[in-house]
Amino acid sequence: MSWDKELDEVARRRELAYRMGGPEKVERQHANGKLTVRERIDRLLDAGSFREVGTIAGSARYEGTQLVEFVPANQVAGHGTIDSRPVAVVGDDFTVRGGAADASVYEKLLYPERLAHDLRMPIVRLVDGTGGGGSVRTLENKGFTYVPALPGWHVLDANLTRVPVIGLALGSVAGLGAARVAASHYSLMVCETAQIFAAGPPVVAHAGQQVTKEELGGSQLHARNGTVDDEVDSEDAAFSRTRRFLSYLPRSVYELPACVSCSDDPQRREEMLLSIVPHDERKVYAMRPVVEAIVDRGSFFEIGRLWGRSVICGLARFSGVACAVLASDPYHYGGAWTRASSEKLARLVDLADTFHLPIVHLVDVPGFQIGVDAERAATIRAGVRAMSAIERSTVPWCTILVRKCFGVAGAANRPAGRLSMRYAWPSGSWGSLPIAGGLEAAYRADLEAAADPQAMRTQIEARLRAVTSPLRSAEKFSVEEIIDPRDTRRFLCEFAQLSLHALTPGPSAQPYRP
Amino acid sequence: MKRLLSPVSGMLREYRVGVGAVVAPDTEVALVESMKMEIPVLAEFSGRVTALLADQSTMIEEGQPLLELGA
Repeated sequence: MSWDKELDEVARRRELAYRMGGPEKVERQHANGKLTVRERIDRLLDAGSFREVGTIAGSARYEGTQLVEFVPANQVAGHGTIDSRPVAVVGDDFTVRGGAADASVYEKLLYPERLAHDLRMPIVRLVDGTGGGGSVRTLENKGFTYVPALPGWHVLDANLTRVPVIGLALGSVAGLGAARVAASHYSLMVCETAQIFAAGPPVVAHAGQQVTKEELGGSQLHARNGTVDDEVDSEDAAFSRTRRFLSYLPRSVYELPACVSCSDDPQRREEMLLSIVPHDERKVYAMRPVVEAIVDRGSFFEIGRLWGRSVICGLARFSGVACAVLASDPYHYGGAWTRASSEKLARLVDLADTFHLPIVHLVDVPGFQIGVDAERAATIRAGVRAMSAIERSTVPWCTILVRKCFGVAGAANRPAGRLSMRYAWPSGSWGSLPIAGGLEAAYRADLEAAADPQAMRTQIEARLRAVTSPLRSAEKFSVEEIIDPRDTRRFLCEFAQLSLHALTPGPSAQPYRP
Repeated sequence: MKRLLSPVSGMLREYRVGVGAVVAPDTEVALVESMKMEIPVLAEFSGRVTALLADQSTMIEEGQPLLELGA
């Protein structure tokens, strides 16, 4: 006597689950420019690698012993591989009750998070749901109300200190959905098809604001204010960036990032680096080409391009070693640290410390952003948070002083309490205050007493300029070494190789906060 | 119709393009003085300039619309 009959029944239910919310709902999902959760998982993972868990979880209706209706749970979960490395995945099924959590099977929702946590693998959340509590309608079904709680949130939180977590917003996500996207190391939203908010337009309308969902929570807003790291123009682009992000990281904090073989010459010199920084300190230059020139060719993966823009953040490889890269962008406040750029920088440093990535910092920092806007934004609060992240980091650190390095933010060019490597370009210029602006304050009495204040100002400035040569700083070992900018890649590849022996797997002493 | 926003707050020194000019991503459209530096404002997308929205030599805020671009 075989078990064929029972297996046939499992197969039948699987078929029902694969239908998701039914052909009509699937068609509507496509018409809205979105893939179904099963299509998403297939495109994200290596072909054929998905092992689903909880396929036939859902709600069933029986007449007698006969199953007459089956609605699958609206989360699809399991594990598979990306570039042949294991990854847990969980995706909301918007075609079933709009992805609302009240149509999910709670234990199934937590399974992929526990899988990632206990078996130490990254987790990717494909979020396309309307939140945590479902609708007020559940009140009637349950017959009671409850103090809000997020059962299992501790696992999601613990994962941030343990495995790479990626949150993708692939539709309108509200409430818990929004939190699941943001509670990650890297998050993305798709332009126009994805929105993120605490509550959507109908609820907001009750509070007196008439807005479209795009106005309320589109990527025009949220990829520019740091709610998510980046926007992409298609779901496929989101999957491709997810795979790329993971390629730099270890499976968990208990391992070190993989080194890849590198065909790009670590000694490669770039001629353009010799003249890219203008002598006129009021003139800007583009920092991204500098980054591209010194990393292994094509290996720079920028994170958060549209927000906190005075600091460029990303991951890259130097002679095959995965590193985190921070670089000032003079096009935005001359590279000064703003509130947003401080927040972005702090997160990248924490990420690097969590997953054992050496840090490379290309510095052109005139200080913190100054002025009324900066004070209104509470810049120094976020600024000292960034400084704490830097100071408490433990991974090897290398600073390149490209141009300006001034003030408190400038002092945070590296952690002060431990060794770091540091090289300056001949264009380096530093101090606690820039001469312009600082001069008037320091010599006010002299200038006021002078018969010709302008002439005296010029005279004083000439005296000060004479002692600002980086060579004088090098005499006093205030800067360790002045290098030919064309050799920058060689020095950073050496740093990366030296770092390999100073990385220690295990949880970071500074647990990652999103 | 798209509007190009100032990436920084500061003083709008000058527009580098006028109404009718065709711009592409990275075209320098204005110069803003901020943090004692001359910061070029680059177009983020292509289009023809249909209006200049701020006054030269005035203070502008981050995110303030600088110009309007039509197809």
